[in-house]
Amino acid sequence: MKKKNIIGFWGYPHPELIDKYKKLYPDAEWIDFDIDYGFNKQNILPESYCAIIKNIINSAFYYKENLITILAPIGKDKCDSGWFCYELLKDMGFNVISSVFEEKTYKRDVKISTSLLPLRQKVELITRGIYEYQDISLEQCKAKFGFWGVPPNDLSILELFPPETHLYGWSRCVEAMSPADIELEMYIDKDVPTVFYSQSFCSKAQLAKYLADKYNGLYIDIDDTATNSTRAKIEAFLRLR
Amino acid sequence: MINIVLDAGTTWSKIIETDSSTKMQDFQNYLVKKENGLSYYVMPSSKLKNINFKFDKATGHMSLSMLKQKDDYENEVIALIKGFRSKYQDDGIILDMGSRDSKWAKYKDGNFKDLDWNNSCSSSTGATIEMLLKFYNISVESLNYTKEKYVITCGIFGLEKIMDDIANGEQPQSAVSKFVHGIAFNAWVFAKKPSKLYLSGGFCENKCFVDSLSNYCEVVPMGRFLLCEGLILK
Repeated sequence: MKKKNIIGFWGYPHPELIDKYKKLYPDAEWIDFDIDYGFNKQNILPESYCAIIKNIINSAFYYKENLITILAPIGKDKCDSGWFCYELLKDMGFNVISSVFEEKTYKRDVKISTSLLPLRQKVELITRGIYEYQDISLEQCKAKFGFWGVPPNDLSILELFPPETHLYGWSRCVEAMSPADIELEMYIDKDVPTVFYSQSFCSKAQLAKYLADKYNGLYIDIDDTATNSTRAKIEAFLRLR
Repeated sequence: MINIVLDAGTTWSKIIETDSSTKMQDFQNYLVKKENGLSYYVMPSSKLKNINFKFDKATGHMSLSMLKQKDDYENEVIALIKGFRSKYQDDGIILDMGSRDSKWAKYKDGNFKDLDWNNSCSSSTGATIEMLLKFYNISVESLNYTKEKYVITCGIFGLEKIMDDIANGEQPQSAVSKFVHGIAFNAWVFAKKPSKLYLSGGFCENKCFVDSLSNYCEVVPMGRFLLCEGLILK
């Protein structure tokens, strides 16, 4: 029998739930199921569907024998697809604990999003901070560009941006411990040329497109991995603005 | 010193060479014009493999292997804009219709304003038209603007309509012209329905397309060498 030592999660499970499971299983390995680890694809979801939700399903099946549990956000802090995914996994016999983290009482200063760290590192530090937060001092910078959105399935697109890129949208909300704070999610600095990113088939595309039009930014959506043309489009926007 | 540049499209490659270069001497059959000390060539991209020299600057998905170093590569939109701005300082939208994609950039108040690049749904652009012309053995010159157009949300559905109409007795020239009109309408919508459009790419030489597009906005054809002209700039 395989050792059960993994706690999987997606989105931002409620901090009290995270604390509870950290105390119950101090040696458990925490794995963010939102990320694309290249695991075998499960033929459960439709082909045209959010790549992040596909990652969750693929990860769940990959780690099935090792899972202690999956902490599963289902509220406005994630999305309806997260809620449905919770129901599917539960129905398929997974040990899944639902979580709703919609209150705005857990405030944390935003200093990674506005730091001089490379953009990909900003995102990775913020997502890791969900279960392993480190209060470190970071050099701040004036924004040359902005990136709005969730952590993309293809994290390599973040490497196209200079370090002086501030992070907005849901990623910033996660850093602020307010993943359901729609006001913060829609906040941007209007003079900062910003790329508004949405995962294809994600309902946040509605916000991304609207905000891009409103603030004269660039709207992009990417399904799985970015094509050469999408990369060139971002590169052109960064060079011309 | 930039003496020879390449815009390597999916189907066609465009090359500009200055009089200081003789690299294209073995490829004179692809020469289309000479102007102001520059020679302009168009060749099938499949023939690029016959070229054994490197270009000074290049753009297009297929051009990376044709360069001395990676730094000599230029982003296609940047090349398009440089070419456009070398000729026009006016505000406006430049649209490049390629073989498998289309892209546009907008200038307003003298500054770059917006861009878009349709890079995934490629089935309704140049390559499809070329295939249709070959399939039905008709020339591009035989196409004429028709008031009627196919509503083409997808090239495959568009092909189905052409085949249906031809099966019902319509002439291929007429059916393909309606398809071209549908593409022109899509291009205008994609560029956000401007009142004036600067057009780049091989479609400039397709009278049916230009006439169809002119139905919706003023069209300024700028030829198929605009990206190369953006690269050749000192």
